[in-house]
Amino acid sequence: MSGGADNKAGIFSQAKRIVIVGAGAVGLEVARQLTERGEVVRIVDDRESGVEKAKAKGFSVERINLQDDEELKRVGIGGEADILFALLDEDASNVFLVISARAIAPELPIVSISGAHDTIERLHAAGATKVIDPYRISGYKIYERMHRPMIAETLEHTVFGKVNLDIAEIHVQKDSFLHGKYLDELFIEERYNLIVLGVVDREYGDQLVFATDPKRHRMDSGDILVVIGPEEAFVKFHRDLNADNK
Amino acid sequence: MKVSDLVIRLAYEMDESEAYARAKQAAYDLLENPHSRIRPYFDLLMMALVLSSVFLLLYSVKHHLGAWSGWFENMVVSFFILEYLGRMWVYSSTHRIILDEYEKSELINQPFRLSKALWSILRSKWSYISSPMAIIDLLAILPSYRPLRILRLFLLFRLFKMFRYAHSIQQFGSVLREKRIELFSLFTFLMFVLLVGSSVIYLFESPESGGQVEGFFEGIYWSLVTLSTVGYGDITPQSFEGRLVTMVLIISGLGVLSFFTSIIVSAFQEKMGEVRDRRVAMLLEKKKGYTVICGFGRVGQVVAEYLSRDKLPFVIIDSDGEAVELARRLGYLVVEGKSERIGLLQMLGVGRSAGKILCLTGDDVVNVYVTLSARQLDEKITIISRANQRQSVDKLMHAGANHAIEPFKIVGLIAGEYVGQPVAFEAIHGIVMGENDITLEAIRVPPGSWLDGKTIGEAPLEEMRLILFGVTTPMNRSSNHVRNHFDLESQRFQFNPGADFVLLGDDILLVFGHKYSVSHMRQQLKSGRMGR
Repeated sequence: MSGGADNKAGIFSQAKRIVIVGAGAVGLEVARQLTERGEVVRIVDDRESGVEKAKAKGFSVERINLQDDEELKRVGIGGEADILFALLDEDASNVFLVISARAIAPELPIVSISGAHDTIERLHAAGATKVIDPYRISGYKIYERMHRPMIAETLEHTVFGKVNLDIAEIHVQKDSFLHGKYLDELFIEERYNLIVLGVVDREYGDQLVFATDPKRHRMDSGDILVVIGPEEAFVKFHRDLNADNK
Repeated sequence: MKVSDLVIRLAYEMDESEAYARAKQAAYDLLENPHSRIRPYFDLLMMALVLSSVFLLLYSVKHHLGAWSGWFENMVVSFFILEYLGRMWVYSSTHRIILDEYEKSELINQPFRLSKALWSILRSKWSYISSPMAIIDLLAILPSYRPLRILRLFLLFRLFKMFRYAHSIQQFGSVLREKRIELFSLFTFLMFVLLVGSSVIYLFESPESGGQVEGFFEGIYWSLVTLSTVGYGDITPQSFEGRLVTMVLIISGLGVLSFFTSIIVSAFQEKMGEVRDRRVAMLLEKKKGYTVICGFGRVGQVVAEYLSRDKLPFVIIDSDGEAVELARRLGYLVVEGKSERIGLLQMLGVGRSAGKILCLTGDDVVNVYVTLSARQLDEKITIISRANQRQSVDKLMHAGANHAIEPFKIVGLIAGEYVGQPVAFEAIHGIVMGENDITLEAIRVPPGSWLDGKTIGEAPLEEMRLILFGVTTPMNRSSNHVRNHFDLESQRFQFNPGADFVLLGDDILLVFGHKYSVSHMRQQLKSGRMGR
C-alpha cells in the first residue's frame, strides 16, 4: 500500500486519468498521493479561495462551475476520465456533484467522502461507487491506538508504513499456473512468502471472500486473490506468473 | 533533665517506632482513608449505632425502658468519643510538629521553646475541632439534655458522605450573595409591609373593638401568616378595615413570594453551567486512567462511540454549544469550554488521574497548544493528536504527542488503493474501518500454556479458521524460518513465520479471523486445553 505500487501492479500499470473535485485538505492530499503513484490527476474546484490556496501550495487547479454539466464534461467526466473523486468539504455539494456526474456518465466509478454518518447512504443513493468516511477511519485508528496498541503499531509499521509490506490483488489469468488449481494446494504462503487474505471466486459471486471462509476455492481465470507480503515476494510471484504466460 | 529534652526524646522515639506508625496507619484506614477496604464496614457500624440510639430515644417517649437502655446509651457515647479522639489523633502528627519546631530552632540556633511547639499543636488540633465534620461529631456526643440527642441524626450526614455536596451548598451561598441587592430590597419591602400590616391590624382588631389581636406580637404573627399565604385562620379579622388590610396583604404576599422564587431560579440558571461542570469533575474524581477528548467533532464522536461501546470512562471538552448539546443527549460526560484553558484541563484531572488525552479539534493550532499544555501538566499521560495538515505532524510530536493521526492521509492512502486495486481496497477498507466481522487480532501465548514451545505447524490455526499474519517476539529473537521481520518500537514482528517456527510464552500471534474464532482461541489458551 506504500510506494511500491507501480512495480507490483505491473499487469495493469497503465496510468489512470483521475478527476478530483475539491481543492481542500482532503482533495490535495489525495492528489498528492495519486500523483506519487504515477496517475494523471486533474483537480477542479468552484471556489476562488480554494483554487488560490491550492495554487500557493504548488498544485494546478482549474476553476469551473460545478453546477454546469457542460463544464463537467469538459474536464473529462463522461469522457476520458477513469475515476472521479468527489472530495468537497460540504456533504450537500458532494451529493449534488455525484448526482450530476452519474447522470452524465452511468458507468464511471465515483468515490466520495462523507462528513456525517447519515450522508453515506445518501451518497450511495446518489450514485457513488464507494464512500469513504475519513472521520470514522481516523476515530477507529485512534481507538485502536489506545486499546489495541500492538495491532495499531504493527499495521502502521508494515502495511501503512514505510516498510515494504503491501496488500495487493493478483488477477488469475487463463494460462497462468494458478488456473484450475485449488487454493490450498498452491502453498503460496510457503513458496512465495505471501499470505492470502481473501479471494473473489467467480463461482460464488463477485464479492471478496475472506480466506477464513471454510469453502475450498478453485482458481479460474477472472478470479482475484488479495495477498499481503513483502515487495520482493511480489516480484518473484509475478516473474513466475509471467514465465508461465510465455 | 529538662522537660523539653524529655519531650524531644519521646518525639524521636515515636518517630522511629514502627508499632506506633502501624497503629496510626490502622486508625487512619479505619476512620479516614477513602480507599481502605475496612472503612465502609466501619461506616455501616456507625450508621447502625446512630439509628438504633435515635430509635431508642423516640421509643422511650411513650414507653418505659429498662436500665439496659442507659448502658446502651453509655456504650454508644463512649464509642463516639473514641471515634472523635481517634480522628483528632490521625488528623495531624503531634510528634512531627514537635520535631519540626525543634529542628527549626536548631537551624536558626535558638533555644527550643516547648510552649511554642505546644501552641502549634493546639492550633493544628483546633483546626480539626473547628471543622464542620468535627462539630457535627461533637454535637452527637455532647447532649446531656436528652431530647437534644436527636442531633445525633446529623452524624448520618457525615456517614452518608453528604459533604461531597458541600460544593453545591457553597454554590447556593454564592448565588444568594450575587443577588444580594435584589434580595435586600425585597426584604426591606417585606419588612415594610409587615410593619404596616401588623400596626393596622393591632389598631383595628384589638379586643376592645371586638377583635382577637391582643398584643403587637400577635399582629406580626398574623401578618406573616397571611402574607405567606399560609393563613391558619386562628386569628381572623372582624372589622371592615381589618379585612381590607387582609386583602392587601394577601396580594402583596403573592407578589413577594413569586419575586423571591424568580430571583433564586434565575440566579441558579445563570450558575447552571458551573454546577454541571463541577458535577462532571466530581464524577471523574473516583475514576482513574480515563480519557479526555478535546473536540467533539466527527472524529471525536467516533472515538466516543467506541469508548462508550466498551464501557470505558471518558470526558469531552468542546467549546461549541451544539456539539456539547449533542454529547449531552448521547449521555456522555461533557464540559463546555475551551480546551486551551489549562485550568479546565486541570479541573478534569489532567496531571492527576487522567490517563489519556486526545486532541481532535479541526484546528491544528489548538491541537498543538493543548498537546503542549497537557505534556506540561503530566509527563506520563498518553497524548494522541489529530493533524489536519501534513506539516503539523512534526509540530505535534515536538510538542509532546505520543501519536499523530492524519485523517486525510488515510483517505489518500485508501483512495490510491482504490484506483489501482479495487479488490484489495475492500480488504484494506474493512481492516481500517474495523466494522467487518473479520478483523486483525492479537493473541498472546500465555507462558506455560500448551502452545508454549510448540511450532506454528502444531498450532490448530487452520482448524480454527485463523490466518496467521505474523508473530511479535522480543527484539533479539531471530529464526531461519522467517524470511522477513520488521522491528517495531520494542518488539520484533516476524512476518509469515514458517510451520517450523517455535512459539514461546509471551509471544503474540497476529491473526486475521472472525471475532468468534479469535475469542474461541483465547479461551482455549486460558483453559489450558489443547484446542480442537
